[in-house]
Amino acid sequence: MNKLISNLLCSLLAGLFLSTTALAFDFGDLKKLDLNKLTDIVKKTESLKPLDDKAELEIGKGLAANLLGAVPLVQNEPLQQYVNKLGFWLASQTERPDINWRFGVLDSDGVNAFAAPGGYVFVTKGLLLRMRNEAELAGVVSHEIAHVLRKHHLNAIQKSAQTGLMSDLAGLALDNEKHGELAKKAISAGTELYSRGLDKEDEFEADRIGVVIAAKAGYDPYGLPAVLQTLEAINPQDSGLALMTKTHPTPTTRLQKLDVLMSGSLDKYATQPQVADRFIQVVGAYAK
Amino acid sequence: MKRIKCWLLLVVLLPIAALADESAETLLNVELKKEPYADAATATNLPAQSAVSVLKRQGAWVNVKTTGNANGWLKMTAIKLTDGRNGAKKSGDSGFGSLFNLGRKSRTASSGMAVTTGIRGLSEEELKNAQPNTQAVNKMDSFASSKSSGEKFAEKVKLKSQQVEYFKP
Repeated sequence: MNKLISNLLCSLLAGLFLSTTALAFDFGDLKKLDLNKLTDIVKKTESLKPLDDKAELEIGKGLAANLLGAVPLVQNEPLQQYVNKLGFWLASQTERPDINWRFGVLDSDGVNAFAAPGGYVFVTKGLLLRMRNEAELAGVVSHEIAHVLRKHHLNAIQKSAQTGLMSDLAGLALDNEKHGELAKKAISAGTELYSRGLDKEDEFEADRIGVVIAAKAGYDPYGLPAVLQTLEAINPQDSGLALMTKTHPTPTTRLQKLDVLMSGSLDKYATQPQVADRFIQVVGAYAK
Repeated sequence: MKRIKCWLLLVVLLPIAALADESAETLLNVELKKEPYADAATATNLPAQSAVSVLKRQGAWVNVKTTGNANGWLKMTAIKLTDGRNGAKKSGDSGFGSLFNLGRKSRTASSGMAVTTGIRGLSEEELKNAQPNTQAVNKMDSFASSKSSGEKFAEKVKLKSQQVEYFKP
């Protein structure tokens, strides 16, 4: 499989080599070019062609379907509706209030949360039941919303060599014969991200944006730091934490970075509500 | 049999006690403040590794009670949560987690019982082998909210939206 990928990549790069660089360089200069530089050229080219919302949603639905194939939704309508109302309120504070936001609680004891392009956000039961109030849930959901806003998964898919035909991903917007194949590749690469993780910098960025969204929505913005403190106290050997640990920077590092950033700037929102009563009522009714 | 029932009762009751107060310890020498502000008056000084109970949180601060019954505020980052035994890491039994075993070995030390059920889903292997469930994705549409019901949801608990800028990268 790896060989196939590298072959695809090589033919793509070779194609670029011949079609574009030959004009700019004589053969002496060509020797100086390395693969990294060529990859950079590819990246620059594709960054000019963002996916449209429809193609983004198609990939997101594929990722969500794979996730839900691995673990079902919790069967509790009041709980799912509660998380959706919260999510819609949070999303309405952002620059993409009108995309296809969908929020779900996954029936897993694992401690984790996920986002998929187009507006899908998931929190596991294992994480939800460790929270103390709505501000903490808002912090986690806002972190996931931030992944969607900044298109972290889409960008990672587009960077991924696994798709082989990277620059053609933009072609997903077109209804041609290659569409199905491209979507399939993108969804497969995206699903792999749930096991492999995003760039650490994407996680830190989602933390920085997440706490601001929570503050904008009127919550105590320290809900996310409080959850990180909870995660910090879970034994790293705990199997429920394995995937989260593998795919994220340590909670301690994230907590420290947020502490430095938030003190002085978000402190003035620290007395905003944490909404423990409603959270305990809804989640408690489900949990009992 | 009676003994087992007794342990079961303990398994249920112990976590309820833990829901109100979480055990923690100080990470460094700190001033216990009377209010959740850096320039608030100091109640007392606490050396590193002092055991405290977390009563509540506000922003970056936690309201704690010391073993000597002093009550005051510490920065969240000045403590780590523990299970109350020698600072050993616990299973993150905060929130409702303290009421349930959440499917893993826990409470072995406090109850003498190992309760283990399977962790369901979301291992790398399961993600890899998952068959797409588009029906479940469509089911999510039925739970979807709207902008207006989100606003009502916020109004009910007096959440007020604020103008806050994102942090510069």
